[in-house]
Amino acid sequence: MSNKRKRFDKLLQTVTYISASIGVLILSLIVVFVIRNGVGLINLDLITNDYHAQFYNGGIDEIVTFSNTPRPNELDSGDIYSEKWGIALRDGLDREGKPIIEVVFIAEDSPLYTMYDKNNLENTEFKIEVENIISSVKFDNKPSALSIYGAEYMINELDAENQFREIVFSSLGGGIRGSLITTLYTIGLTLIIALPIGIFSAIYLNEFAKKNRLTRVIRSMIEMLTGVPSIIFGLMGLAVFVPLTTRYTPATSANLISGSLTLAVILLPIIIRSTEESLKVIPDDFRFASLALGANNSQTTFKVVLPSALPGILTATLLAIGRVIGESAALIFAIGTTIKDDISIFGKSTTLAVHIWSLLTDEPANIELASTISIIILFIVLILNISVKLLSKKYLKRA
Amino acid sequence: MNKTKKWIQEIKNKLHFNSKKEIVDFLVRLIFMISTIVSGSFIIIIIIFIAREGIKPFVTDNDGLGAVNLFRFLTGRVWLTGTTFQSTLYSVGFIIINTIYVAILSLLISMPIGVLTALFIAKIAPTKLSSIMRTVIELLAAIPSIVYGLFGAGVILPFVYNFAKTLGIQSPGGNSVLATVIVLSLMILPTITALSEVAIRSVGKDIEHGSLALGATKTQTHFKVILTSAKSGIFSAAILGIGRALGEATAVSLVAGNAQNGPSFGIFQTTSTLTSTMLQGLKETIGLDYDIRFSVGIVLMIVILITNTLLNYVKRKVGNVNVK
Repeated sequence: MSNKRKRFDKLLQTVTYISASIGVLILSLIVVFVIRNGVGLINLDLITNDYHAQFYNGGIDEIVTFSNTPRPNELDSGDIYSEKWGIALRDGLDREGKPIIEVVFIAEDSPLYTMYDKNNLENTEFKIEVENIISSVKFDNKPSALSIYGAEYMINELDAENQFREIVFSSLGGGIRGSLITTLYTIGLTLIIALPIGIFSAIYLNEFAKKNRLTRVIRSMIEMLTGVPSIIFGLMGLAVFVPLTTRYTPATSANLISGSLTLAVILLPIIIRSTEESLKVIPDDFRFASLALGANNSQTTFKVVLPSALPGILTATLLAIGRVIGESAALIFAIGTTIKDDISIFGKSTTLAVHIWSLLTDEPANIELASTISIIILFIVLILNISVKLLSKKYLKRA
Repeated sequence: MNKTKKWIQEIKNKLHFNSKKEIVDFLVRLIFMISTIVSGSFIIIIIIFIAREGIKPFVTDNDGLGAVNLFRFLTGRVWLTGTTFQSTLYSVGFIIINTIYVAILSLLISMPIGVLTALFIAKIAPTKLSSIMRTVIELLAAIPSIVYGLFGAGVILPFVYNFAKTLGIQSPGGNSVLATVIVLSLMILPTITALSEVAIRSVGKDIEHGSLALGATKTQTHFKVILTSAKSGIFSAAILGIGRALGEATAVSLVAGNAQNGPSFGIFQTTSTLTSTMLQGLKETIGLDYDIRFSVGIVLMIVILITNTLLNYVKRKVGNVNVK
């Protein structure tokens, strides 16, 4: 073998190795990027908090007694404490990276507990709490202490006074509770719609249908759905399911039902194919034995064929869940991009994937929160993938 | 007449049940059949409804604005001349070219990488490594497109911006043809790799052994025998890959930059694809500016259909060449 040949072979081999490592590189880059940007925001509050912050205006009557709780020991050195008002504040950053002042401690005898809701005097459960955000303290006789001047300034201004006009405070927004619930609802609704139709179709095509031209046509029509881009499904949802649901349900615009119906259509070919594959590996002996014992076709299907096909159906379900969680283009049209906190299946809302899209199309884009949601999505997708793999491995061994 | 009577009699016979069991059996069959027909009919529903909405702008007078000129729509070089709600001068000509341009460029990048990765997994890597690599590819395929979009917005846009800056070019935030092509090629890479691997693995051992026995080196065999034998399967991978590239929406819309005119061929110019155009201006819910989205949808479907037919034709031609 000539030297030139050897060199050329080496070159080709190197190119192959480099190409193969690119895939690994991309996966690690994506994972590292998402985790590095998003891990800072991950905590339980993010999942349980609302997206839209609730703003309150707290007024106060003549103050009789001020607090006299000394500075508690558990406070950080950076926290600013006012003994007079019994409140500790801290400079922090919200989920969009903007500076905020958050409440880290309130003494039990703090006069701030006597505040009332200026917007709704009947509100008896009104009180300022730890983790609330103070945006400004307004006084009658001097300029307001705004949050941009920092916690220390705000405390100093408060300490200098015996009275204030109002404190504007809010809950910490930017949570994803609404989108998370929407995603769960959407998964449930979609599966309720798509699973029966998909499984029935698979059974019909595999067990009952005659092997004729019509069956072939129907089969290829279902196959064609896999080639349609998801944004086209979204347009279909907008043209078919949104008008349909607004006419027959209380919904007035794109809603969870129209979104789930659209997703169900996307999932049908996946469910049908996966179920059919598991039906095909069931030996005909089972069916013949059941028929020979006097069972008719539908009894055989429900009592013999379907139980054996369960692993395939489970695989289909897991794949379907993964697809629902990741789908964005179709849902932008079929559910809408409005981020909501109270979820109704007749209302607009967003799933987690569309939530990311909304965050990224905002000005400026919120990469951190988007990354955090991506971590959640990637984690679920990873678990689903591993389960599908384990399931099919176990199933293949048995068959 | 006789025939109809016979038919009715036949149906009556079929609908005559001897027991409850038979009724259940019949009903079950009926439900299953209806489900199947429903599943099969969705593709027709999609075509009919999108066509109905999408043709509207061309045949109605759009609430007094006048009909959209189809020829101008398909050939123009500016998305919208005039202001929204007051103009019918929509065009997607340049967007069609942009879409095909970025799809072909991304295919050119991910085809060699994908096929060589597939070759590595199927023939070169030891069993353990190849199963790890296969998992990596599967995971890449499972990552939702919105996460690729986030990766594009967070990593590739700054990269392209800085790259352009070092070349002395001002790129608007990195939104460009280059960024779009990179994101798309990342997204279609797992599809191409997985399908090519199946094609490469299905090449017969005898061909491989024959080549080795004739004195060819392993590398020669891999490149000259195995890859050429798997050509048809690899071509199918390319067809699926380009289909995905043409139809991808959210990730592209985050990095393309939504150019309003074009076509854009320079790699640092902003671009727009059919899908990203559909995703912009979602505020309108009635009128022409709403319906035009469906027209773009029809164009997208036709572009995908034509590309697929064309590539399948080429595949048949290529596949016919005798490799042995």
